[in-house]
This record gives sequence, C-alpha cells and structure tokens, in this order.
Amino acid sequence: MRKNVLFLALLLPLLAGCAKQPEPLSCTPGQERRLVVYTSHKEEVYTPIVREFEERTGIWVDVVSGGTNELLQRLQQEADTPKADVMFGGGVESLESYQDCFSPYICREAADISPQFQSESGCWTPFSALPVVLVYNTKLVAPEALTCWRDLESPAFRGKIAFADPQISGSSYTALVTRIQAGGGAEACLTGLCAALDGKQLDSSGAVLTAVADGSCLVGITLEETALQHIAAGEDIALVYPSDGTSCVPDGSALVKGAPHSENAKRFLDFTVSADVQALVGERFCRRAVRADIPADSSLPPLSDLTLVSYDVEWASENRDRILSDWAFLLGEVPS
Amino acid sequence: MNHPQSHSFRSRLLLSFLIASLVPMIICSALLSQISRIQMKKQMETDAQTQTANLLTALDRVSDALPGAARALEESRLLPRAFTSREDTRVNNALFLATEGSRDLADYSLYDLQGRQCYSTGSVTPGSTLPVRWGILFAAANSGGKSVYAAPSAGEDGGNPLLQGAAVLKNPQGEPVGYLVMDVYEQNFQKLFAGKYGSSNEVLILSRYWHPVYASQSSLNAGLAPVLREQLLRGGHPGAETEEFRYQIQEHRPTGLYLVLRQPQVFTKSTMKLLRAASGFCVLVGILISAALCLPLSRRISQPIGRLLKAFSRLEQDDLDVHVSRDGEDELGQLAEEFNHMVQALKANRQELVENQRELNQAQVRMLQAQLNPHFLCNTLDTMKWISKINHVPQVALMSTNLADILRFCISAEEFVPLAREVEVLNRYVEIQKIRLSDQFAFLVSLPEELETCMVPKMILQPIVENAILHGLEGVPDSVIQVCAEQDGEDVRITVTDNGHGLPPEMIGHPYKRESAPTGHHLGLYNVDTILKKHYGEQYGLYLDNNPAGSGARVRARLPLRRKEEKEC
Repeated sequence: MRKNVLFLALLLPLLAGCAKQPEPLSCTPGQERRLVVYTSHKEEVYTPIVREFEERTGIWVDVVSGGTNELLQRLQQEADTPKADVMFGGGVESLESYQDCFSPYICREAADISPQFQSESGCWTPFSALPVVLVYNTKLVAPEALTCWRDLESPAFRGKIAFADPQISGSSYTALVTRIQAGGGAEACLTGLCAALDGKQLDSSGAVLTAVADGSCLVGITLEETALQHIAAGEDIALVYPSDGTSCVPDGSALVKGAPHSENAKRFLDFTVSADVQALVGERFCRRAVRADIPADSSLPPLSDLTLVSYDVEWASENRDRILSDWAFLLGEVPS
Repeated sequence: MNHPQSHSFRSRLLLSFLIASLVPMIICSALLSQISRIQMKKQMETDAQTQTANLLTALDRVSDALPGAARALEESRLLPRAFTSREDTRVNNALFLATEGSRDLADYSLYDLQGRQCYSTGSVTPGSTLPVRWGILFAAANSGGKSVYAAPSAGEDGGNPLLQGAAVLKNPQGEPVGYLVMDVYEQNFQKLFAGKYGSSNEVLILSRYWHPVYASQSSLNAGLAPVLREQLLRGGHPGAETEEFRYQIQEHRPTGLYLVLRQPQVFTKSTMKLLRAASGFCVLVGILISAALCLPLSRRISQPIGRLLKAFSRLEQDDLDVHVSRDGEDELGQLAEEFNHMVQALKANRQELVENQRELNQAQVRMLQAQLNPHFLCNTLDTMKWISKINHVPQVALMSTNLADILRFCISAEEFVPLAREVEVLNRYVEIQKIRLSDQFAFLVSLPEELETCMVPKMILQPIVENAILHGLEGVPDSVIQVCAEQDGEDVRITVTDNGHGLPPEMIGHPYKRESAPTGHHLGLYNVDTILKKHYGEQYGLYLDNNPAGSGARVRARLPLRRKEEKEC
C-alpha cells in the first residue's frame, strides 16, 4: 500500500501539468474609468446611450438591468456597501420613495430642463416625460366610446380592461394616482376602477398592450411611450389622452448614495439630460424630452394641449403604501 | 478446509501480480496522456499565435483602407464640389478609385456635414442620414482628424453594418466638408477572415469596450461576449482556459477592436473520459490476466499444501492409512513423497510395537498358566518321593525330589535368580535326565566364584541343556555337556557346548535367527532368546553355532553382568 502512495506522489507533478494563468489584459479599466448602472429601461433604450457614453468618455459601464422595484429594493439592501453608482430609469415617484438611497445632485444643464420636470430636492434627474394614456383596440372599440377615465366604468368594458398590478408596475401606480387626481374623490375612483376591472389584473405593464392588441381586453391603461411603440409596430391600437386629465410624470435617474464612482456617475447623469441624448429620446424612443429646448415630436400633441392633473410626486410617494393596500383590499386580496 | 494462510497467500500473490502489471501501465498511460496534452497545448498555442496574427493582419486592411481612401479623396480636386452637386459620376469615379482594392471589405459612403448620405459604393438609399450629434459622425468630428471605428448600437439585426468607420474629409483649406464612412457588414467580415483561422475555431470581435461586434458563430455575440466582459470588469482573467475552450485575446490597436480566438480544447471532458475508459479497460484486462495467471498458480501451491494439511490433521487423529497423492516433480511433490515415507515408517513402527506388546502378553499368559495348581503338583511329587522311599525305589525318590525342587523353582515369584542357584537347579534337571538316559553323558559346570551372585533370569540354562541332551547326544558315546560362565567386560557369557551331532545348518546364525518361526523342537531356545531380548534389549540373546574345534553344537547366551541390587534395572 505504501508503495502505491509513493507512486502516486511521483505521478502527481506529472498529472498536475503546467497550468499557466494568462497574464491579466492591459485593457482592464481602473476604478477611475468605471461606472455601474442599474437600469430598468429596456435594452433598446439604454444600450445606445450607454455605448455612446462609453465612446465619449472612455468610461466602462457595467449595466445591471431589471425591474424598477427590484432594483430599488436591491439598492436598499446594498445601502451599506453600494455597488451601483446610478439608478437609470424608474418613475420619479418610485425614486422619490427610495430617496434614502440617493444623493441629491443638480445636473449641469438643469437650467435647460422644463420646470415641471425638475426635482425640488435634486434627488433625481428627469430623463423623459411619460403621460398616462388609455388605449383601445381599434377593431373592437369605436373611437368615441373611450375619451376619459369615466368611460372605463361603462358596463361594456367591465372585466375587459388591461391594467397591470400597481404593486408590481411603477407606471401602473402612476396611472392609479393620476386616476385619483383626475377627480371624483379618491375612494370613489378606486372603487369604480376596481369594479370595472372585475378583479382582473395583469402581471406586467408589458402585458397590457399585448392583451389589448390580441383582443382579450378591449381597453388598457398604459404610458404614452409604450402605446406609441406598439402603434408604430402596426398593431390595431389607438391611444387617448383622457379628457378629464392625465399626468406627465417623468422617469428619471438618480445618484446612488455612497456610489463608488460618484464622479463618473455625475457625468452620466449630465449626459442623460444633454441635448444629444434628449434629442435621441424624442427621435428614437417615442418619448418626450424633458428639456425645454427640445420640442416634442411633431406627430404628438404638445403637452400644453393636454389636460394635466396636478400630479404631486411627493404625495404619491408618501401615500404609496396606503393606496396600494387600499387597492389590494378593494380587489379582495389580503392587504400586504 | 480453507486456512487463512492460504487465503492471505493467495491475495498477496494476486496483489503482487496486480502491482507488477498495473502500476507500470498506469504510469505509462498517465505519462502518455500528459505528454500528448503538453504537445497539444504547445501546438494550440502556436496555432493560436499564427491565426491571431493572420486575423490581425486582415483587420489591418480595414484600418488601412479608410485613411487611405480618405487621403485619396482629399487629394482629389473634386472634393469641395462633391457635396454641392449631386449624382456626379466623376465624384463616384473618384470614390471608386479611392476605394479600389478594398471594396471587398466594406461599403464606402460620403456624407455631408448634415449627415446626409450623398454617394456610396453600395446602394444609395434616398434620404438616408446619420446623426451628426451622435455615434460615428460625432466621434469622427471630435477625433481630431483621425479615423474612428465603432459598432453601431442597433447593429445586431441583419441588415445593418456591424462596424462603421468614419473620417472627416477636409478641403485644401483644412475646413471639414463631409464624412467618409465605411460600413463593414457580416459578409465582409466572413470574406475577410475566410481561411484565416482553423475550421473548429471561432472568432469574436469585440469593440473597445468589449461589446460584441462580429462573431463567426452568431450565438457567441449573446453567449460569450457578455461573459468575457463580465470577467474583465470583475478583475478576473477574461478568456482564462476552461475545460472546453482556450481563448486568445489580442487588441487591434489601429481600430481599438479586440480579437478573440476561441479554440476547442483537444483534451475535453469527453476525450478524458474516453482516455480514462481506455485506461480503465486496460486495467481491467490487466486485472483479469493477473487473476488468470495468479489463481492457477496459487491453486498449484495451495492445493498440495491443503492436501498435506488435511493429511496431517488425519494423522493427528491417528489415521495411519493416510496417503498424499503427489502431482508434479517440484518441491511440493517431494514434500508429499517425504510425508508418505514418514507415515509408512510410523506405521511400521506402530505395528512392531503392537507385535511386541502381543508377544509380551502371550508370555505373561503362559507364565500364569504355568503357575496353575503348582502346590498340588509339588505335594504329589513329595508323596511320590515318600512312596518310592517306602517301596525302596531310590531313583523315583530322587527324580521326584529333583522334580519338586525344579517345580518350586519354576513357580517361585522371583524372576531373577543368582547364577549359582540357576546352576543348582540345572544340576537337579541333569540328575533327572541322567536317570532317564542311564548316565550316558558327562555334565561339567565351570562357574567362577565372582559370577555366582550374578543375577540371571531363571530357567534360561535348562532349555539349552535340554536341547543339547534331546537333540545333540542321542546315540553319541562318551558325550559331554559343558556349561561355562565367564565374564566378558560388562557382560556375562554362558556357553553350553556338547560333542553331539551339532546343529543343522539352517539353525546356525549370529545372532540367533528369530525370523524363522519357532518350531516345536526348538521352542525352548526360542523362548530363552526372547526372554533375554525382552529383558535386556536386542543386542543380547543366544548365539548358535557348531563347535569349531570338532563335532557338537555350541550355544552361547550373552547377558549383562548384574548383581542382586541392580537386577531391577
């Protein structure tokens, strides 16, 4: 037996071979040339912006994508040792409700941003304006049947309304608050909408348009950008700005508190509101720029033509839990 | 019977066989696989270097073509007018001339300062524009006159170029007038790299920031590129060798692109598995051969040993008929043979013992029989003596007196008597015989005084003398019987000689032939010899021959000289 052990000992160096580790590549960027971005934007939105940022600044961007709430919760968990530098995307009321995770930063070109999209505290930097709209299937619904929030409560649409769960979808929550602020009393609005939904909610905001397009729902509640993209894709969908009022809450970005690469993060925030990016927002992403000097696409009605509710971002974020638990209660679910 | 020894012997033998056959084989296969692995590795490294160099050279063509074409266009005097007057065949001619020899690499287009496409070596899409505040034209405008290369971010769906290069065109006054843009499509890359790398290898082109640009196998764009970038950003070794692949990553400096060459490992898991299976098979064959050689051999050894052990245990249980069959002429066969010899000797020895015991028993029985009713006989003889005295028959009185004495002597309990007493009883017998044979012979006794006390078994002389009287002296005139005792060293020699007919030749022997069955005639001699041998051992006994000096027999009894106190020995 001892002999065998000896043989094995002799064999070992032979078997181990020569596992050479390759030398680290010289192109590995140093910490001063790095940026970690958490984004809830779609890939086609963040990719060109991130790539252009890299090309222009020489900063390597590490992108982590995910849902808004998921990433915000992650930021909260990592609050002690932040890994991310920037949260890119997400409605500003979501960012506002996690303001503990962020450092205020007023971007360099703040003066060029429309005042209605400015953050008072500087907690977030707006990216694009996203009015809440109603959509309908043009084959199944006559244009005059849907003009305002109240129309949703008509018996024709009962149980045929595509609406994503506001617990999951930030834009759905924005829509819910918009509905409340469009008038009629908070409780009545919620009860009415709830009854109209007939207890049906969708799992994601993406599913709203699909449900309307394939006819399983007649109407839906979504954001202008999403609706425009699907219309551009040739689906049988039309959008309506509710005549009794819509909101135009921007989505935005925010500087993570204690960000490891905070200087690069500030450059990125500046870049997202730069004229070049904002121009792209209007041209390529079917969104409205937040800069006053970049007009909306000519095919869209200017914001000034829309009936806008006075959307109070702070109120929306402070009352988020209450409204959501009311909503869940009304839908017959166990309040969380 | 399976003894642990034979087991352990067998397993030790098997183990030795296994070590002798397997260890060299395992070392050998490990060495071989290791050597071939190292060789393969070297070969792969060389291949990777060559192929990477080839690919980089190919990329050099791309990075050389754009500045070359830009320079050629700038030198053309047509350039300032090119962006003001459209569809000028002379401009197209200049463009084609400037891109001569490199149009297989890319499509070249001229864009004006507003980003409108004016001329192209490929198809011109009317109204096609590139943003001047974004992407490649922005980068070219801000590059300080150098050519720039970038992957358009929307370049992953088929029709779009995978790589764009752009250079600002300037008029002789040094003012920018437009852009020269090269669009490299997937088919251009395929053509460029065709045959430059091994068929089993894959090529991946990464941008300056490690985003995928081109992959020889489109799944690598989504599969491998993000992984490599992740590794790079995590500070690991991007492209560290895995079990399946080896990577060679090199930067192409003019374009800032990174070239990744992926080679499948020759020694993959499945190859190793195959090698191991082959080695395992060899090991199995080795084990089988070892077992096949070892088992018969160990059986060859353990079976005879087992048989011997069995025989020994039978022997222990007193079975003397045991016999070990021997097979073969080797040491074990000899051992079996020796064993058989030993058993035979033991058996013979045992038989002899039994025989001796039987004889002793018979003698004892005879003696007991002889003592039956002795007093009745003695009394009868005494009565006969008195009756014959009353009736004045002195011979009968003498005979019966002598006979009674002899009888008493015979039945007395003591076994050993002084020689003087023995001789006295002998004289009584001779007196009886003289009366019987009418004094026809002389009887002489020569007993030295120092031998008178010598202890001898009783009644050993009477049968010898009787033999001489009955067989030797019949019809011989002046016959003499002489009894002569003499000391011979430690022994006593008693010689009985007569001058009669002598002994028949078949009885003569030195020593007395015991093998011849005792006949009725010589039973007395035989008994005496037996008594002497039983008492004193084989070297004592009777010696029969004829008188060398003349006629007559000579019987010599030889026995050790013992005095009264040592007769018990």
